[in-house]
Amino acid sequence: MTVDGERRAWGWVAHLREGGTTPWHEWTGAGVQGGAHLPGAQQLELLRRLHLAGRATPELVERVLGASAPGRGTADLELVGAAEESRFGPRPVDPADLPEDELTRVATTLIAEDLVAAGTPEPRPARYVRPWRTRYRLVGDPWLADPVREALIGRGRPPGGRGSVVLVLGRDLSTMLADAWTSRAFDDGCPPWREWLDPFTAGTRVPPRVDLERAAATWARRVGPGQVRVVLDPAALPRLVGVRRSLPAPPLLAGDAVDLARRVAGVLGLLVLPDRRAELLRGTLLPRLVGVPGAPLAVPDEHSAWVTDRAARMRDRLLRAGYPVHGDPDALLPRPVAPAAASTGPSDAGVLALAVRLLLGSSRGEEAR
Amino acid sequence: MTLPMTGAPTRRVLLHVGTPKTGTSYLQDVLFRNRRTLHAAGILYPADRFDAHFLAALDLMRLPWGGLETEAIGAWDRLAEQVRAHRGTSVISHEILAAASRSQVGRALESLGHGDGTEVHVVLSVRDLVRQIPAEWQENVKHRSSISYAKFLRQVQNPARESRISSWFWSVQEIPDILNRWGHDLPPERIHLVTVPPPGGARELLWKRFSQAFGLDGLDLDLEAERVNPSLGVPETALIRRINRAANRQLPPADYRPLVRELLAHQTLSQRTGSPRLRLPPDVHPWVRDLEDAWVTEIRDRGYDVVGDLDDLLGGPPPEADWADPDRPSEAQVAGAAVDAIKALLLENGRLQQEAARVSGELAQAHRDLERSYLRPTYRLRAKLVRRLQASRVGRGALKAYRAARGRNSRSA
Repeated sequence: MTVDGERRAWGWVAHLREGGTTPWHEWTGAGVQGGAHLPGAQQLELLRRLHLAGRATPELVERVLGASAPGRGTADLELVGAAEESRFGPRPVDPADLPEDELTRVATTLIAEDLVAAGTPEPRPARYVRPWRTRYRLVGDPWLADPVREALIGRGRPPGGRGSVVLVLGRDLSTMLADAWTSRAFDDGCPPWREWLDPFTAGTRVPPRVDLERAAATWARRVGPGQVRVVLDPAALPRLVGVRRSLPAPPLLAGDAVDLARRVAGVLGLLVLPDRRAELLRGTLLPRLVGVPGAPLAVPDEHSAWVTDRAARMRDRLLRAGYPVHGDPDALLPRPVAPAAASTGPSDAGVLALAVRLLLGSSRGEEAR
Repeated sequence: MTLPMTGAPTRRVLLHVGTPKTGTSYLQDVLFRNRRTLHAAGILYPADRFDAHFLAALDLMRLPWGGLETEAIGAWDRLAEQVRAHRGTSVISHEILAAASRSQVGRALESLGHGDGTEVHVVLSVRDLVRQIPAEWQENVKHRSSISYAKFLRQVQNPARESRISSWFWSVQEIPDILNRWGHDLPPERIHLVTVPPPGGARELLWKRFSQAFGLDGLDLDLEAERVNPSLGVPETALIRRINRAANRQLPPADYRPLVRELLAHQTLSQRTGSPRLRLPPDVHPWVRDLEDAWVTEIRDRGYDVVGDLDDLLGGPPPEADWADPDRPSEAQVAGAAVDAIKALLLENGRLQQEAARVSGELAQAHRDLERSYLRPTYRLRAKLVRRLQASRVGRGALKAYRAARGRNSRSA
């Protein structure tokens, strides 16, 4: 490491510690060594981006500087110009040239730590279970079924019981595909959107979580076809489960938000056991992501013919099997969506911006203030 | 290198951080099986299972590893706590620690007491790149990868190191960089390199070097290996790669490890020692030789403690005979390996069927015993009483009250 380069690098670290936003390639100041080793370029650039977006607390600053990106991937990189060109180790970089994905890797480890520290909301006290409730089970699209089931449990109407009617929830297949990926992202993480989606579109099966035909057939074998209903109209659902008050709609999330949850899930799996991970993702992270601006996910145009074909096949088979359908069976077919209203995939820049926003608003940061 | 281990008043930690494919599995096996003997000599090898330090390394480095990471949560802190509580010498060993970043190294050293009176030594066992490059490709294949040898070599030679495979390869194999990260805050005399002898040397020489480096000379240790990481030949590695391509999507990691990695690769195909060995292609030799020269010069200049000979890091010459390309193996040899693999799977399947039949027999016997207990007069009397009570409304109410009073809702009584 050259003496001038090293002093310049430590000067930049001090500048960033104080909230500075000057890029490394424009930085000309100098400073004294402020630690055992220089933090990596990824950590320093993430800190700069945090300052550009808001004001990071001193606690957050130190956490960023001490963080390491989880998993296999690029190691902590050195700043170009801070060290003599070495024949060993990864090449030094200008932090401004780093891909957003590299910065997000560091950010996700901090977000995961925040979630573990925050814990989950206190569980609601157990409600008196109504003995004469309507017996039901909710299956099908998990992103539709999960919040409804949770709300009904909260109202003293848990699912199951003798003679339950099985309600297979669904909506247009294009949205259900996004729902299936979203649901997995908030359970145990999953591959990126296109890596997950494209293999399905190369075959004939739809993801098991939203394969309404298979869900209905499975339950028909267990409880008899007469006990299975397909529900495509959300307005019909309260009556079918025996309530008058409306039931919650599924959380609407931007594609970038789901992708961030997916990435955080990967890191959380290194910090807590799988059940706890799902609780933290759904109970703590999800409320922070609902309402974040951004377009929801949509299936890319190149797969629209496949989706239409699969949806029509699903509709025809459900009708042929004779299950009562609540709502228009054509509701399974993809709806035309304005290009600006939906995103065909998360963007690295959008995910990083959201990660930065979460870190700046994290509860640990708030407490430090 | 001399580390007097017995009677040392100071707390000392010997941290063996790599590199892979340098006899580390054998060393860890010996340390684990002899931990009581070691403890009697004042040396702590803190492990309650043979892969305890692997789990601790996963935890320290936050590495996912086919689901094993769920067993690793908190493992590093528990390990460090045991080390800090021990007055004397402690040994930690796992080769994936070589990939730790500077901040992870800083956390590891601090947690072990560095800077707080504990003398931390870093040990790195090293082998020439001529052998390490094919060995690393084979390790990738044994960990579900289906990458071809040619593509692996291209990625490793790419100076940008952008791929997942190349960044990992260099993070665990580039000796000067590993020592930059692990030795950044340590004096050179506390960094010890153990070189793997060149091929053809005495088999026990490597152990002698390990023994010297870890101060184990004079201890009566059981050196019979139970866990080693044996190598495969060209057709055997090609076969595993084909199996990966065919079965990866269906075979979950928890099944892959015992069936493919252990049963097929380690227990079966590694026994086929007559097949061509995996080697570096002749055209890659000059590039590797330049790297090795640069590394040896650099390491000599830094003044580390070397157990063995730095010239061991200069790999042998290119193969004089025909080089066997694992991307285009002899199909007859692959078929031979495949027959051995099928035989092993059949035998294992037969063993499992016998095991299933035995367990099934035990279960049937348990059911019969249970039924006999149901036939006792007192049970029959109680069952009759319950049936009668269930036949009337008053009886059902009495039963309900009884069950509520008993405190559980079982209907078994």
